[in-house]
Amino acid sequence: MGRRIERINEDWLAVAIGLAVFALSLGAVVGLDLLGWAAAPKTWIDIDKAVQPAGASPLGGVLALILTYGFVLALMLLGAAALGANAVRFAVSFTIIYWLAYLCWVLGNFAYIAVTTPADMEKFGIGWSLRLTGESGYLIALILGLFIANGLPGFARWLSDAARPELFIKTAIVILGGTLGIKAAEQLGLASSVMFRGLAAIIEAYLIYWAVVYFVARKWFGFSREWAAPLASGISICGVSAAIATAAAIRARPMVAVMVSSLVVIFAMVELLILPFIAAAFLSHEPMVAAAWMGLAVKTDGAAVASGAITEALIYAEAAARGITYDRGWMVGTTTTVKIFIDIFIGVWAFILAYIWTRHIEPRQNGDGLRTTEIWERFPKFVLGFVATFLIVFVIALASEAYQKPLSAAMNEANVFRQIFFLLTFFAIGLMADLRKLWQEGIGRLAAVYVMCLFGFIVWVGLIISWIFFHGVQPPIASG
Amino acid sequence: MAAEEPNIGKELRQMPAEPLLPVEKKLIGWSLGVGAVLLVILVWATEALFP
Repeated sequence: MGRRIERINEDWLAVAIGLAVFALSLGAVVGLDLLGWAAAPKTWIDIDKAVQPAGASPLGGVLALILTYGFVLALMLLGAAALGANAVRFAVSFTIIYWLAYLCWVLGNFAYIAVTTPADMEKFGIGWSLRLTGESGYLIALILGLFIANGLPGFARWLSDAARPELFIKTAIVILGGTLGIKAAEQLGLASSVMFRGLAAIIEAYLIYWAVVYFVARKWFGFSREWAAPLASGISICGVSAAIATAAAIRARPMVAVMVSSLVVIFAMVELLILPFIAAAFLSHEPMVAAAWMGLAVKTDGAAVASGAITEALIYAEAAARGITYDRGWMVGTTTTVKIFIDIFIGVWAFILAYIWTRHIEPRQNGDGLRTTEIWERFPKFVLGFVATFLIVFVIALASEAYQKPLSAAMNEANVFRQIFFLLTFFAIGLMADLRKLWQEGIGRLAAVYVMCLFGFIVWVGLIISWIFFHGVQPPIASG
Repeated sequence: MAAEEPNIGKELRQMPAEPLLPVEKKLIGWSLGVGAVLLVILVWATEALFP
């Protein structure tokens, strides 16, 4: 993997795959239903009706299911080829990952697990439900991945070629841009407010988080600059990509970024399992605060956006039980917006650090100076895909109200694939979280500063910042 | 990577003390200071633009 020559990076690949799905979905706007066969689980009590096409397709559930798998596999195989992976091995690994994850998704939609309202309980003829919504399938996938990673490590390693959580979530985010575009057009004032508040929140988070974590790592734990800077970025900003960008900016050894990244992945999974439930328990009346909090507190794109999805499911379910039906997608959209702003600023922050290191801490030789192009090189390119799908839908929907309904239908079809890539993200995050690394020699001290800063500071300051900027903002009530 | 990993424990245990340089203190101080000032400005701007 590390030695393979990658002809295209995962960011650009996510843009290509996401745009392909998005473009096909737009067929629905001009009457061409190209993705209506895409299969997604529905809440079920009878397994025969568990999976159905999302659109008005004459295909049965089984055929739609196979077609959906074939389509996603084809997209991923093209991607694997672009990354230079062994196609056969990738296809086999991906197929296993896909079907295990999909099975979890179907299980999560079982009526006794998913149903949230008394009306739906009556509809399905059941007397109780865990009220976890269909999104519980994501958590089941995460737990299964985690079990495989730690109980069957050989199998997990064998699957690792196709377990690419960052590629999956970035693809999902590109597709999500279109869904958020239509929502923003329908609720322009709220969307502008969310974006501004999100930007304000991340500026604060960057300035406060990094400085404090760096100070704690240097002063209290005695880490050298080489370790403290990537550690501060990994814990405080955006996990793996920030740790790698910072390590490169200050010319730390690759081993430093790898060790910090291992911790980031493990604790992101821990956060994903805990924080959405805390948010649902204490912030059910402030959904947007909870959503922004997930974006600010949970590290890595995959775990953060996944946390937003789980938090939305839990809080919306609780609201539904109170008779309030929020328009879906606003919370996960807020988490994604916050996370994307964080990603965009990684390059800028890495540039600032590189400037300070090259000018004041470890002055470089002539000809080895700092290039402003480093900001672009570190820019997360998948954001361009997100912005493109967002703007295309947003502009068309604003241009003519007549397009809003067909665009909404088109984005609903694309959303099936967004959900599938979400699902794969959860499974892959679990699969990559090797908890035994915590016992590796030497990592205890790193883990100590990580746990102390993350759970003693980052999580709570993130909550305060989210509260300051999102307090009182509510998602719109669903129409119909 | 594989050859480097076994030395991590030793390296972290024997890490030499590196006192905070003035430029690091300045980075931390400025970051927190700008954060505090911007907090006031951004809260005001949010209230003004999206009451």
